[in-house]
Amino acid sequence: MIDVDELKKHYSVFRREPGLKNSLKALFFRKKTEVKAVDGLSFHIAEGKRVGFLGPNGAGKTTTLKMLSGLLYPSSGKVLVDGHLPYKREARFLKKIILVMGQKQQLLWDLPPLETLELNRAIYEVPMPVFRKRLHALTELLDIGPQLRTPTRQLSLGERMKCELAAGLIHGPKLLFLDEPTIGLDVSMQQTIREFIRSYNEKEGATLILTSHDMDDVEALCPRILVIDKGRLLFDGSVAQLVAQVKPEKRIALRFEGNSLPENLDSYGRVVATGAGEAILQLGLEKVSEVLSQLLARFPVKDLTVENPPLEEVMSELFSKHTLAENEMAEHALAEHALTENERAENEMAERETPKHEVTAKAP
Amino acid sequence: MWRYGKLFWIQLKASLLLSMQYRADFFVDAVISMFWAATALAPLWVVYGEKVQGQIPGWGLGEAMLVVGCFVFLQTVLEGAIQPSLQTVIEHIRKGTLDFVLLKPADAQFLVSTARFQPWKASSFLASMAIFAVAFARIEVWPSFGNLARGAFLLLLAIGLLYSLWIWVVSAAFVVVKVDNLTFLLGSIFDVGRWPISIFRGFFRLLFTFVIPTAFMTTFPAQALLGVLTYGQLALVVVCTVIFAVVSRWVWLRSIRRYTSASS
Ligand SMILES: Nc1ncnc2c1ncn2[C@@H]1O[C@H](COP(=O)(O)OP(=O)(O)OP(=O)(O)O)[C@@H](O)[C@H]1O
Ligand SMILES: [Mg+2]
Repeated sequence: MIDVDELKKHYSVFRREPGLKNSLKALFFRKKTEVKAVDGLSFHIAEGKRVGFLGPNGAGKTTTLKMLSGLLYPSSGKVLVDGHLPYKREARFLKKIILVMGQKQQLLWDLPPLETLELNRAIYEVPMPVFRKRLHALTELLDIGPQLRTPTRQLSLGERMKCELAAGLIHGPKLLFLDEPTIGLDVSMQQTIREFIRSYNEKEGATLILTSHDMDDVEALCPRILVIDKGRLLFDGSVAQLVAQVKPEKRIALRFEGNSLPENLDSYGRVVATGAGEAILQLGLEKVSEVLSQLLARFPVKDLTVENPPLEEVMSELFSKHTLAENEMAEHALAEHALTENERAENEMAERETPKHEVTAKAP
Repeated sequence: MWRYGKLFWIQLKASLLLSMQYRADFFVDAVISMFWAATALAPLWVVYGEKVQGQIPGWGLGEAMLVVGCFVFLQTVLEGAIQPSLQTVIEHIRKGTLDFVLLKPADAQFLVSTARFQPWKASSFLASMAIFAVAFARIEVWPSFGNLARGAFLLLLAIGLLYSLWIWVVSAAFVVVKVDNLTFLLGSIFDVGRWPISIFRGFFRLLFTFVIPTAFMTTFPAQALLGVLTYGQLALVVVCTVIFAVVSRWVWLRSIRRYTSASS
């Protein structure tokens, strides 16, 4: 269904240095640099499969989806989607696909979503009886009866996303490219969207590629994930395989009574971050339950959560392993490793501010 | 073809719906656009004030009013159909939602060009008709059917010219982010269309004839209505419109290609 071979997309951008003097200089002399957004991706996806693209910001996920859907012209390499070269944007191809983007919307802002659906019906030349049938099914499944008749601007983010999906699916595409479809939605809405996407895939046999920052999203939906970093494929397999292979650990975020921390915390696991009365421990999966009961028994724990190590860490781990292996004999292998260590420390700081809760337990 | 007719109708209907949503605006805008149509005439009263006649060689007040009539008519089309649609392109580019348009199995230029209409501008269309009527009443010669047909044909070509010009401006939006100034500039230049071209001399006359063909848009149709347009002039406008249309299509396609290779 989808064949990608050594696909590359390099953007040439003009770098602007900070500062007034540099800005003035940049008015006349511009320095051209190349951003390797996608840098040699190869994969094959069979019909009817659900595949997730995982990767940190700027990994090249959106760029890849844009090349698959025909929005971007590849710099080099091969893309073949259901026998079409996407960038030709032939009508026959475009009628088979849909690109849904969590951050952008195609719905007309001031009009009810139904108007956009109506317009799409004409654009995609969907016969009226088919349109009615699909509209009915989508309305039922997504539970958007009244929302379809409300001006888009009055809808909540989640309702809008549901209508957005309806607008994208009214022509019955057999290839879905979903770029962060659950971004900004609350947990139950994410659930609804996921359920819907899965059932569409199962009923229609549609092939589906989904990108997300959210491990849960991909875990719940995609039997197969592709991890992309810096435009390159780092991993191809299931989420379970990925975590098991790269980071078989869990994190325990702890909050203690008062503002002080127990002294010998590091004897329970690796302390990855601390704050006023707060700490995050990281330890092997097998030790979690034992350590939890010890902590609760010995310390005045106010609150605790158990979570997966942040995706960024799993991936930077994956990435550093990858570069190490690749550059084993290269001289600068060490320097590169130090860089990723640095990045990991930064990621940990960021993660501490927005923890992803998997299990929440209140201390007695 | 039939399909594009249907698409056109659906988009027009959406615009109508949108305008109806703001009913108060609908009436206020109708009144305001009538007012602007009337003020388009005001400069004529300055020039032709009192009993001074023949301020503009070859153009009496009635004849000059025909030019204003053409001007108001084209302004109606520009503000009611061309400008709003192409404004949405600029927004699409800014927000990145042009992606959705490009992935539709229909011509993107057609889709964006018919995306938005401002139906209440129809009122200033009526105003332009009124100006034509008053002008002919002053001249005291009613146009023959042939002259009317030629005038209407030239106005159609003028719409084509105006549309092509605006496509160029919109294409600029692919390169520079802010094109508001550019549309404003073009709008101001279009403003000279309210005068018969013969008030300009030398450089400006050439500029407004061939570079920004306002002469073709308003003076020539008025001349056609008066029956003084030569077939040579008519041919010139046809050729010019075709060239503008072809070039604007080329510029548009190039811009899209640039956009999809994202080599900014
Ligand atoms: N039009 C463009 N011009 C220049 N550089 C670009 C352009 N679009 C993307 N890039 C760069 O290409 C890289 C990959 O971007 P892309 O949007 O594909 O990442 P992503 O994986 O989707 O990230 P995110 O998770 O943040 O959405 C980034 O470094 C980005 O800055
Ligand atoms: Mg992205």
